[in-house]
Amino acid sequence: MATLSFAGVEKRYGAVQVLHRVDLEVADGEFIVLVGPSGCGKSTLLRCIAGLEEITGGELRIDDRRVNDVAPRDRDVAMVFQSYALYPHMTVRENMGFALSLQRHPETVPRVEAAASMLGLSHLLDRFPRELSGGQRQRVAMGRAIVRRPKVFLFDEPLSNLDASLRNQVRVELRRQHAALRTTTVYVTHDQTEALTLADRIVVLNGGVVQQVGTPDELYFEPKNRFVAGFIGSPGMNFLERLEADVVGVRPNDVTLGAGPHEAEVEVVEKLGFEAMIHLRLGEEALVARVEGPAPTGRVRLDFTRAYRFDRATGERRG
Amino acid sequence: MTLALLLGLLGVAQAGEVTLWHAWRGDERAALDTLVEQYNAANPGTTIRPVFVPYEALSSKIEAAVPRGNGPDLFVYAHEKVADWTDEGFILPVELPTDGLHPVNVDALRLREQVWGWPLAYKSLALYYNRSLVRTPPDTTDALLAAAEALRGPDRWGFAWEASSAYANAPWMHGFGGGVFGADGAVRLDAPGNVAAFGFVQTLAALGPAEPSGALLTQLFNEGSVAMIANGPSFLGEVGAVDFGVAPLPVVSETGKAAAPYITVDALFLAREGAEARAFAGWMVSDEAAEVRHRVGKQMVANTRVEVTDPRLVAFRQQLDTAVPMPTRPEMAQTWEPLARAMRRLVRGAVTPEEAASEAAFQYTIVSRPAPPAADPRPWIVVAGLGGLAAAVWLAREIRGAPLARWRFAFAWVAPAFSAMTLLVVLPFLVGATVSLFEYDQQAWTFVGLANFLDILLARDFPLTSPLSFWSTLAVTVAWTVANVVLHVGIGVALAMLLREPWVRLRGVFRALLILPWAVPSYITALIWKGMFHRQFGAVNGLLALFGAEPVSWFAHWATAFAANVTTNTWLGFPFMMVVTLGALQAIPRDLEEAAEVDGASGWQRFRLVTLPLLKPALLPAVILGSVWTFNMFNVIYLVSGGEPDGGTDILISQAYRWAFTRGHRYGYAAAYAVLIFGVLVLYGRVANRFAGRKVV
Repeated sequence: MATLSFAGVEKRYGAVQVLHRVDLEVADGEFIVLVGPSGCGKSTLLRCIAGLEEITGGELRIDDRRVNDVAPRDRDVAMVFQSYALYPHMTVRENMGFALSLQRHPETVPRVEAAASMLGLSHLLDRFPRELSGGQRQRVAMGRAIVRRPKVFLFDEPLSNLDASLRNQVRVELRRQHAALRTTTVYVTHDQTEALTLADRIVVLNGGVVQQVGTPDELYFEPKNRFVAGFIGSPGMNFLERLEADVVGVRPNDVTLGAGPHEAEVEVVEKLGFEAMIHLRLGEEALVARVEGPAPTGRVRLDFTRAYRFDRATGERRG
Repeated sequence: MTLALLLGLLGVAQAGEVTLWHAWRGDERAALDTLVEQYNAANPGTTIRPVFVPYEALSSKIEAAVPRGNGPDLFVYAHEKVADWTDEGFILPVELPTDGLHPVNVDALRLREQVWGWPLAYKSLALYYNRSLVRTPPDTTDALLAAAEALRGPDRWGFAWEASSAYANAPWMHGFGGGVFGADGAVRLDAPGNVAAFGFVQTLAALGPAEPSGALLTQLFNEGSVAMIANGPSFLGEVGAVDFGVAPLPVVSETGKAAAPYITVDALFLAREGAEARAFAGWMVSDEAAEVRHRVGKQMVANTRVEVTDPRLVAFRQQLDTAVPMPTRPEMAQTWEPLARAMRRLVRGAVTPEEAASEAAFQYTIVSRPAPPAADPRPWIVVAGLGGLAAAVWLAREIRGAPLARWRFAFAWVAPAFSAMTLLVVLPFLVGATVSLFEYDQQAWTFVGLANFLDILLARDFPLTSPLSFWSTLAVTVAWTVANVVLHVGIGVALAMLLREPWVRLRGVFRALLILPWAVPSYITALIWKGMFHRQFGAVNGLLALFGAEPVSWFAHWATAFAANVTTNTWLGFPFMMVVTLGALQAIPRDLEEAAEVDGASGWQRFRLVTLPLLKPALLPAVILGSVWTFNMFNVIYLVSGGEPDGGTDILISQAYRWAFTRGHRYGYAAAYAVLIFGVLVLYGRVANRFAGRKVV
């Protein structure tokens, strides 16, 4: 159990700056998701917490202890890698018990067995990683972290190598684990759905700069800028450049069809059963609306139940 | 030209055509060509066709071609094989002109009251002296000792010669009244004259530079660091800017006899009867032709009517008067190693002259031990026949009912590799294995069954702890292999890990540099290290001297000689392991080590618990290969320590070599060694495979 505190954390490789002054306070037991497009610096930030990358500026504290120069093995954090990084020459049991056995911890065996039964791995303890399925490997990787009871869990895109249905299942399981263990967790993903479903708070990163920090609701309903608005939510927000002086942002479910000040032409209809995505042309601009029930054709009138306005130059939200 | 050479080698001769094989190069070859041209022009009925054969190949080619009738009519070779070749009937007796040829040259070719070749040229040792340091060369051994003492300085010596060479010490042995053979014609290495000579050698060597080899003598003489050396005529061409003279070797003060070096005579031998060949050969030793050979070919010719003007060459001619023809008897070949071994110990001061002489005599009895009794080959033939039958039955059962027609293409594809392997691996192996059941003596093969193996395994001729015994050599070989492989893997893996560290700059440059020892031919590296371990002039002792250490005689003690060998071979061997490791490291995901790092493992724990186990699958085959190579690493042992001290650092393969080639051609015994080596390695391979097969990731 621990808090994390970032004060002006920077990371640069020679002339290339990959993290710009990151300020963030993570409360004890909080589940933080770092999200952003690839190359935004989210993995680097995670590796800085683990100590696998050195911080080149600012200060990082775990539980008020400055850890800038502390070796990874002395930080008491556990990390689940995207590749799982299971030791191929060790059994599941040895993998999960590795960290504790290094310390000759007396509870190595019971803790491994407890974690294994929690994750449904008890019958696989004597197998080698190569004998496991992807989902099983993923659980072993999580088990390896859980067994340690570290101050902080770090997850680096742990679900990206799983298929869609398994991903949903593990997502729920992760949430359940966290509810049970309440360990401070930092989780990296590029998938905004994962971010929204898992996080207590989300940190959106772009180009090494923190765009916004907030709860899933805050990010969805009150995005601070055009980037966050576009990144969070699926399908993404429509941006209409020519309608007003500012850029107007409308989420597809905030578009109502049938009446309103604007007239658009239906171009494509994607039916998704219960709902449909209507691709519209409004003047010279493309727009997606999400509707329930029968899809219209031809020309329709439409209105926006809610619209956001963003500064054309800076992308900052106005009012 | 190629065709002519081919025809010549095949011995396709036409009437009046005389084929002549020789190994002369440079000036000597030019002289021969001139003479042949001249002779052919003057004798229209005869065509002499000289064919050059490299020296190393010449004698084996002769021994292969002559008995089959496709050898040359004439060939040029040193006289030392006369006894062998007359026994075999390869060469015919000849008539020589009654005068003009120096008698010692003729004596060298005389056997059983007949002369077996036309003596062309000779060589022997003589005394070279630096005229700026020595005004008159010493004419007695006392004067030589006095000069050696007087001319000695901090980095200078009065006299040097190859003090551990049996050939170079022959003059002293003869001068002191000894020699290889006693008055009764039997080998007497411990004759009193030899003991006296050994005493003199020990005293004189102590006044000279340490470990004097031929190359070192050349260098020291040319630098002016040594005032006098004993060397042969070929050294004339190697002297640099030194103003030098040549004199005959001195007279031994104690006996009044001259220090008599061996002479070796290059002669023309007649391999096929023919009037043209005899006529040409007779002309080759005539005054006219000898003159050309001397003038153009720079030969020291056997014909003494040729006028020699260069005083240095005159000295070699004077040396003829006291020289002794190199004995041609087969026992001679077995005396070199025992003598050289005793002399090395003598020069090193490890033994007294008496001990050296008796050790030489004892070693000779070992290497010249009579052949085991002939065995009855019939049971063996039966066993071999049954084995062959069993193999045939097995093969027939294996392929019975197989769709042979469908496999035709498969057979065709495999055939080239199969025949190459059969020709290059299987057949030589079978021949070697067969030879191990025979004993070779005086050109004759005797079937002896397992006698060679029993002799070797039961260490019948020497104590178990003698360096000559199979078991002690096996122990050394195992120690050698283990030490090397541990160092190769240790250093190779460590460097590979280091090269992967992110803070290492110029990684590519280092990688290339570290692979370099592997890219240089191993014998060159071995010779360089050999030089670096020289006691007086080696870089290793030079380096030690910087730290105030006394110079080490690396090859005088077992541990240091072994260490020198291991150092050299480690230098040669670690790059392979490094390259294998670098490759294997590429395949280990970096995040495994990062995971271990986050899991709390220290650097050493990460290496031991994660990286090393993952390297194992790649390293194990490399280790198995490496240990087999090291087990048979002949080059380093032969070239660096040469088995010093006293064969103690010889490994099985170099021991086998010595039995075959330096201890009187004990081919059967050596082949048995080779078969035993093969057996040991097969056993090792099986064990290693089982070990490796158990835990591969």
